This record gives sequence, structure tokens and C-alpha cells, in this order.
Amino acid sequence: MGKIVSIHSFRGGTGKSNITANLAAQVAMADKRVGVVDADIQSPGIHVLFGLDETNMGNTLNDFLHGKCTIREVAFSVGDNATQRPQLAGKSLWLFPCSIRGHEISQILRDGFDINLLNEGLQTLMSEFELDCLFIDTHPGLNEETLLSIAISDLLIVILRPDHQDFQGTAVTVDIARSLDVPKLMLMVNKAVPGYDYDDLKGQIEAAYKAPLTGILPLNFELADNASKDLFSLRYPLHAWSQELRKVAEAILSVP
Amino acid sequence: MAGIFDRLQKQIDDKRNEGGISVLDLADLPPTLRKIMRLMLRQTKMNYAQLRETIEHLPEGEQLTRANLDEALEKLSEQAWLIQIGEGERAVYKVNLRRRAGSNLSETIWQNLDSKLKR
Repeated sequence: MGKIVSIHSFRGGTGKSNITANLAAQVAMADKRVGVVDADIQSPGIHVLFGLDETNMGNTLNDFLHGKCTIREVAFSVGDNATQRPQLAGKSLWLFPCSIRGHEISQILRDGFDINLLNEGLQTLMSEFELDCLFIDTHPGLNEETLLSIAISDLLIVILRPDHQDFQGTAVTVDIARSLDVPKLMLMVNKAVPGYDYDDLKGQIEAAYKAPLTGILPLNFELADNASKDLFSLRYPLHAWSQELRKVAEAILSVP
Repeated sequence: MAGIFDRLQKQIDDKRNEGGISVLDLADLPPTLRKIMRLMLRQTKMNYAQLRETIEHLPEGEQLTRANLDEALEKLSEQAWLIQIGEGERAVYKVNLRRRAGSNLSETIWQNLDSKLKR
């Protein structure tokens, strides 16, 4: 059985979706079968990194949750649509996007939805697509679909910035993950300002949360300039950000 | 005419409407119950024999005796946190999570919002 990797941050703006998309691409490039689910139903965004927008998006997770299609019919094959990302051509990488249409987001918020169905959809796509790795891009903070993603994950990666608000929020996520018996927990720092003593930062964070810090990604102006229009680690593979990200991808691959 | 699977699904749906457990509540369960619920979340549906086999393959120290498993299943089913269809060795279990509630905002607000959002 493949592993479910949930990517979470307690607060928004940590770069979670960007990191999730890049990690998924790197794992797919290691010839693994990879799925990416956008579980951020109320503020979806990861589809942009794979070249999707409202005009070219097919079925969505919202359609599945409303019984309009199967979970298989939500899949967007990144490997078959890799003109802009030739490194991913032919790779087994699928995106399961959420709707970006305002009325469909408001419908979910107004009516709620069946969490059992969401879980069954996730487990079904694991088996039907024979995934080695399913990445779940969660909504920041804690809501029901985020808690479900944490509860079913084999590995939870919590992203934080070197910021006291993030430090406190991360403690909440770590506590909840432990109380839900998540088997493996990793931490990642993003947007670390150059000049920090990275070894000291790693020591402080690992001591505070008693979990391994798997990567410290530097604050990256080129990434900001890229404006989510592409997968940064593919376009700039030699950049320090990309190199550090690949270490995290290797750590994910090493989890049994 | 409804087939056996339709009828089974209807039974499951009826029982699911009776409540269910929130994911956050899983954290407060005793370890044995939480272990079964986590297993069930990943499998979504298992019969008794599959559950026993899965438990037997857990690392030593995490395994449950048959009596412990039966007791845990009874508790989880009583609360409708697991839905049990059938009895004894032929029982099938399915996890029952509480529906994500909709908004408490007034319907007028949603109607106004909907009228402004293009379809």
C-alpha cells in the first residue's frame, strides 16, 4: 500500500501549496506513481502550479463530493499535459483539483459535505491509481477536512516560517498529530532569511517539537518572481531552494 | 428493483444519518479504539476476518486479543462510530465520520452571495 503524505501549516502564506507541488513533481521524477489532492476546498490554489485555471479545469473534488462524478473522473494527468513542464512528460503524476468557481466554493461552505465520502474518495484513488505516494495539500489551520487528512496520513509534514506566530501554531498541529497517532512527523522551514544560523535554528526547532527538521528552505525572491506560474524546482534545479527541497523529497522516499 | 448492494448501501446511509464521530474526537478515544478507527479510516470497509488478520499483522505490542477486538468493535458500533452490517464472523464494518456541518449564516446572506457569483 502506498503512503499518504499530508502537508500542513497552521497559518497561511507559508508556501505550502508551492512546496507540495514541487515535492510531488520530484517524487514523480523518481519514477513513483504520485497523486496530489487539493484538500483546501475553501481556498484552492495548487492547480495553478500545474497550469490549470477555470477555463481548462474539468471535474473537480467538489463535483465528486456532490455525487456528480467518480473520483477517477476528477484526475488531471500532469504527465499527459506536460508541454510547459517537459521533465514531467510521461510521468505518473495526477492532480485532483478543487473548484475555483465562486458559487461552488460557497455551496460547500453553506451546505457542508460528507466527510466519509471524502475519505472514501482518497482511499479509492490510492488503490485505483496504484499510488506510491499521495500528497494532500491541506487548508491552513484546523478544519474537518484538514483533520481527516492528518488522521489518515502515514507522514505529516508541517511547514513553518521562522516566526513566533508560526512557532505557536505549529505546536498545536504537532500536538494533534501525536494525539491522532500519526506514524511519522517531519518539519520544514520555509522563507528562512539569509544570515540565520541554520544549525542553531534546526537545533531549536527539533528541541521544541521533538521531531526532525527535514529541510530549511531559504527566502527566495526568484520563487516570488515566478508567481506560482511554474514548478520552481524544475525550472531552476540548481537553485539552493530546489536543492534543499530535493533533500526533503528524498526523505519522503526513504519513509517505508 | 433494488439489488443487494443497493439495499446494503441504504442500510449504511440510514445508519450514517444517526450521527458519527468527528476526527477531533478520535484523539480522545482510548488507544485501542483509536487504533481500530485509524485502521478503518484507511480501509474504509472491512469484514471481521479482515480486521482480525490486519490486527494480527500489527507489530508485537500493538496487537489485540480477540476478546479485546470484540469488545472494542462492540463499543464503536454502539456509538455508531463504526457501522456494523451483519453479525458475528460475517459482520462488515464501515467507519462513520460526522458530516461536515454547513454554515450557520442566514439564508438571505447566502442567497445574496449566490446572486452575485457568476455561474
